[in-house]
Amino acid sequence: MDNIYTPYLMNISDVTDEAPGVRTFRLNFQNEDEGKNFKFQAGQFALYSAFGYGESTFCIASSPTRKDYVECTFRQAGRVTNALSELNAGDTIGFRGPYGNVFPIEEWEGKNLVFVAGGIALPPLRSVIWNCLDLRDKYKNITIVYGAKTVADLVYKNELKEWTARDDVNLVTTVDPGGETPDWTGKVGFVPTVVEETAPDSKDTIAIVCGPPIMIKFTLPVLEKLGFKQDKVYTTLENRMKCGLGKCGRCNIGCTYICKEGPVFTAEEISKMPDEF
Amino acid sequence: MEKTLKKEKLNSLITGLKDKGYKTIAPKKDNNLITLCEIQEADEIHFDHVQTNNSIKEYFLPKTEKILSYTIEKTKVSIEEPEGFAVKSVVFGSRPCDAASLPIMDKVFNWDCTDKFWIERREAITIVTIACDKCDSYCFCTSVCLAPDAKQGSDVLLTKISDDEYLVETETEKGEGLIKELETVFSEPPSGTPDRQVATVEKKFEIDKVKPWLDENFVHKIWAEFSTKCIGCGACTFVCPTCHCFDIVDECTMSKGDRVKNWDGCQFKMFTLHTSGHNPRSTQDQRWRQRIMHKFKYYVEKFDNILCVGCGRCSRVCPADMNISEMLEIISTDEGQPEPVSKE
Amino acid sequence: MIEALRKKAEELLKNKTVDVVYGYGEGSVPERTRPVFITKPEDVNKLTWNKYCVYNLTTYLKKQESRKLGKPAIVVKGCDAKTITVLIKESQIKREDIYIIGVTCTGIGDPPATKCKACDVNTPLIYDELIGEKIGNKEFSFEERYAELDEYEKLSEQEKWDFWQKQFEKCIKCYACSSICPLCFCDRCIVDKNQPQWIDPSAHPRGNLSWNVTRAYHLAGRCINCEECQRVCPADIPLNLLNKKLAKETEKNFKYRSGYNVDDELAMATYKEDDNQDFIK
Repeated sequence: MDNIYTPYLMNISDVTDEAPGVRTFRLNFQNEDEGKNFKFQAGQFALYSAFGYGESTFCIASSPTRKDYVECTFRQAGRVTNALSELNAGDTIGFRGPYGNVFPIEEWEGKNLVFVAGGIALPPLRSVIWNCLDLRDKYKNITIVYGAKTVADLVYKNELKEWTARDDVNLVTTVDPGGETPDWTGKVGFVPTVVEETAPDSKDTIAIVCGPPIMIKFTLPVLEKLGFKQDKVYTTLENRMKCGLGKCGRCNIGCTYICKEGPVFTAEEISKMPDEF
Repeated sequence: MEKTLKKEKLNSLITGLKDKGYKTIAPKKDNNLITLCEIQEADEIHFDHVQTNNSIKEYFLPKTEKILSYTIEKTKVSIEEPEGFAVKSVVFGSRPCDAASLPIMDKVFNWDCTDKFWIERREAITIVTIACDKCDSYCFCTSVCLAPDAKQGSDVLLTKISDDEYLVETETEKGEGLIKELETVFSEPPSGTPDRQVATVEKKFEIDKVKPWLDENFVHKIWAEFSTKCIGCGACTFVCPTCHCFDIVDECTMSKGDRVKNWDGCQFKMFTLHTSGHNPRSTQDQRWRQRIMHKFKYYVEKFDNILCVGCGRCSRVCPADMNISEMLEIISTDEGQPEPVSKE
Repeated sequence: MIEALRKKAEELLKNKTVDVVYGYGEGSVPERTRPVFITKPEDVNKLTWNKYCVYNLTTYLKKQESRKLGKPAIVVKGCDAKTITVLIKESQIKREDIYIIGVTCTGIGDPPATKCKACDVNTPLIYDELIGEKIGNKEFSFEERYAELDEYEKLSEQEKWDFWQKQFEKCIKCYACSSICPLCFCDRCIVDKNQPQWIDPSAHPRGNLSWNVTRAYHLAGRCINCEECQRVCPADIPLNLLNKKLAKETEKNFKYRSGYNVDDELAMATYKEDDNQDFIK
């Protein structure tokens, strides 16, 4: 019988420093067959292990349309992420996944998309953004509002440039007041305010919001004011997880196990959950 | 299949099990504890108790177990799968409530994907239960749709029919196989209706009223009122046969390590603490609510089973005399009134 | 005595001297009591006092859920009251922030708890109000105080090691011992710290040994012998034997007994030139 807790072994093929304490790994399967058979969809997450230190949960940050690797972006915060950040290109890490549900991007075809992200929460959206950009003609207008505390804290700086350069993407970047540099050309202000200013048309539009709880809390009412119905607003939830498989018993919010029934939820689904975030 | 087991045959039973390659786990007295543990001789078995202090859980979900090992050599890692964790065994003399916990927990360990550590042990271990001939005020199996002679989860059920005889009833093919393997130990079933000596466990609450109340009362002052005395230890969850939450951690020297699965519990504040410092269940009343909700609402909705077998261990062992059946009694008589009965 | 206790509690709540009374109430079975938190004068009848009042209620001083109820009056036996002295010494509470209802006690538990055999605090050493007839506190010799260690100390080093190995093997890492301990008040226990991982979280022999020994060491010179850790241990580990042994060593080396005098200098937090340092040589 297979051991559901055994990770794939993966090589770190590339390391990118995104922001202070934030790093991206590009990973390749050590076993080619495993790589060939591996499939995931945007929105899913995995458990990454630094052998000797343990496992940590984060989303898959690359797009399923880019098939020959998997990427993850993490902030150095605890025991495992500190150990991960000690690893270099060529080192081995463990990867368990993909777990959880997905963004229903097929249902979104023919619609406008508005992505709203704050800080280190761009990685989960990056997967779905690239997925949709790689299938660009299936979607109408694509708007991305992305904010961080400071200019330095913005992640994927090269991709932000790339998105800015594209005329089929409307990228609005912002930093919190005081976080700007003299040469900053983006906006200065908090994400919810910037969303309100950007005022994306809610007609035929899906909003995908990801960020710290406080940002989500203030962004949802803005979207509502702009006419977004709760079932057209998507987000991803996080909770402490150990197994990722619905067994270890800690990630539930009420009856809902984030690891299995999430991490992707609509604002409508979240509004029905008990207040235990 | 029905048979009779005479107490004088216990020696041959235990020897027989050993000869057939089974490890035997049975209740044994150790100072102030009655512990389900490995035994070698029949006379080590303790019979005259209500309940063992430890539950049957640890033979399927040990307090700590290796789920993989690895060797790190420079940039490379090689993984070894643990082997030999499922040992052919018989649990002899566990209580019906403990046995009943096993099929309930099969559901979560089989949910979409199979936890082989649980399932392979389930296959390797045969459960021979002894129906309770006595109980105490903490027992409440009859309130959670079970009974002191419930058959769920047992491969063989023994019921005392006289001071030196048990009625042997096989409940599964596995149980039948075991009895056949040791045929000579058992005698023919009693003629006529045997005098089954089974305890009378008082029904404490109406289980049908519990979930409807929980559905409506996620926010309720009783959670805090009842749990102020809770000290936030993990005793209740660890002695519970149905609490299955666990942690996964790495233990490593320079080049060799194990990934282990350890018991964990919802009453610990660390259980849900995010790295950021945020904690979705930051107070003890939220954690107490989680325990009750998980057992009597969430698990029911997910798996159509109550995650509680009424063994009473959590209440017996609670350092602060939190009593789960008392909480459920309050809930089930409250009938949704805004001001609940408080027993504080 | 129960009446006097209830009357006092009622008065304190009515006068708003305190917001809550931590006391003993009826338990789930006649042989048990349970902690109760009385916030309304009309509820004082829930307070009780009998030989099953084993809890050291001062542990609720460290818990946010009970502290949220406001300024407390705490019912304490002589042994429990020693905790308050330590908590004041260790700057965890201020004397004026709590009201101490001392009860005179001639022993609790059935059979009586080990700690009661050589009890020299039948009347608490610190209180605002005393319930019950004052009892002249007895005095015991050093040997009498630590008599429960006699058997243990006869063991050889190897036997002691084997004894503890066998005891700790039973540990299930539920942390009831530290959760119940009024002096284990660290917001983040060393066992919860994983950078580095000081103590293996697993309940295997190594993890259990390091946990139990560390817990005991952190109580050296502090433990006031309330025996709560031992009472609550679901694995029946004689934890207080360790605590008692450390208390004996502390007294032998530093002439210090924890919880007896609020003016004493703490044994483990005071530097003296003439300290007896033999133990680290």
